[in-house]
Amino acid sequence: MSASPRIHPSGETILELENVGIELGGRRILRDISFKVLRGEFLCLVGPNGAGKSTLLKAVLGLLQPTEGRVMVLGKPPGKSPGAVGYVPQRKSFDRTFPATSLELVVANLRGSWPVMITKKEREQAMAALVRTKAEKLADRQLFALSGGETQRVFLARALVTSPQLIVLDEPAAGVDIRGRDDLYDLLHVISQDDYLAAVMVTHSLMALSRTAEKVAYIDGTLQAFGLPSELLGHGKLAALLGGHTEDGDG
Amino acid sequence: MFEWWTKYEFMRNAVLAGALVGGMCSVLGVFVVQRGLAFLGEGLAHAAFGGVALGLLLDIGNRFHLEWFGPVWVAVPFCVVVAMAIGWVRNRGIATEGTAVGIFFSVSVALGILFVFIREKPSGDLESYLFGSLLAVRRVDVWVSAGLATIILGILAVTWTKMAYVTFDRELAKLSGINVEGLDYLLLGMMACVIVLSVKTVGVILVSSYLIIPAATSRLMGGSLFAMTIRAVVVGAVGSTVGLVFSYYINVPSGATVILTLAAAFIVTLALRGGAALAGHSH
Repeated sequence: MSASPRIHPSGETILELENVGIELGGRRILRDISFKVLRGEFLCLVGPNGAGKSTLLKAVLGLLQPTEGRVMVLGKPPGKSPGAVGYVPQRKSFDRTFPATSLELVVANLRGSWPVMITKKEREQAMAALVRTKAEKLADRQLFALSGGETQRVFLARALVTSPQLIVLDEPAAGVDIRGRDDLYDLLHVISQDDYLAAVMVTHSLMALSRTAEKVAYIDGTLQAFGLPSELLGHGKLAALLGGHTEDGDG
Repeated sequence: MFEWWTKYEFMRNAVLAGALVGGMCSVLGVFVVQRGLAFLGEGLAHAAFGGVALGLLLDIGNRFHLEWFGPVWVAVPFCVVVAMAIGWVRNRGIATEGTAVGIFFSVSVALGILFVFIREKPSGDLESYLFGSLLAVRRVDVWVSAGLATIILGILAVTWTKMAYVTFDRELAKLSGINVEGLDYLLLGMMACVIVLSVKTVGVILVSSYLIIPAATSRLMGGSLFAMTIRAVVVGAVGSTVGLVFSYYINVPSGATVILTLAAAFIVTLALRGGAALAGHSH
């Protein structure tokens, strides 16, 4: 675990949810969710499967519109500040057979389109991001040749390359072996502190929580609990949920 | 050795049109292969059959003495409409892509059979659309193929990098501000046009492999998506030329020889590069 001291979050609100409710296909997934994430604050979203965590992330990213309430990122509706939000998807949700190098993947986010030729400046920017996630040696490797942990470090570099102010992670350590998971959580902790980033991460893992979280939101259709990890670990449901998912939970 | 080129205009037409449509199919084929749209290609090819049959039934060229107006001019809009309908049904979440293709594919073929039946003429010309025929390609087809190739290259010059990003991951592309659905329709429209124009050379039954084999062959060679695209075009254009010349010499339907030539290219590449490629993917 990193020894760097935790900087106290500033008062600036990066992400704000107000009474957010979401219906999908006539079915109510989420109701009355309100919370804030400040600059420099790391929020872990936890809850049972099917509780609406990934749906909530989609609303934060602007991929779906809330049925009620509103989501604001940097004071604007989501999707209006591309580059200000970095996203690390679940490992299983992208095509690993796509002929692409790590460097191309990172540059694609920098440009907003797939690169044909990479300029020297783009390469430098992408390499700087890859160095931060300890993935610089993977720059010219094909994505299919990467392990789970390596893939996620490259995707983290991809998310960081636009210098975001908010980083959104959907179970980033799912399908990553235990050592890779360890490294990933350490990196997330260090980078979010150094860059003074606001972060929202869906996780099932107690390890993730203890390594990264400053705040925890426990969601199951509604916001059941919100607060410091130390306060919430006493919450019966949360303890029961994470108890079953301790070290190998994230899958 | 080159008498097929110097002596016969029909061969020059067939080879030029074949290389053009083969190249275009291969460019789009890279997206088809990476997105797993092989069945969509197959469905659009069968929609082309319905369109061609309608074109033959309407017989607009003869009726209005328009020499250039072949059945293709009816088949292109027919196939584009089917492609858009498939995209719409899928994007609206009414049915999955596989289901949408399955429905439109069989309806188009059923309509085609009905049109052929109503027409009550010998179906010799229809056969050339089913299996591909060197003699069916006219000078005007070469010009139309060249025109379409220019338009498609123009569209791709602007949209290729975005289509490639969508191909990699729709969600990430959307987050980067790309109009994912708009590009889907554009790709569908281009596929429909290219497939209809390829029908004269390789025929309805085999045209979808024109989309698949060059791109799949190129993918075996590794490298970036762009390199894969450029190589696929070379494989498609050269394979189609070699296949058509074979078909001339051994006097068999052109579609079969073109596809078998492309398949041979795939097998040779697999033998040469496949070991390494498979080792990489098994990881």
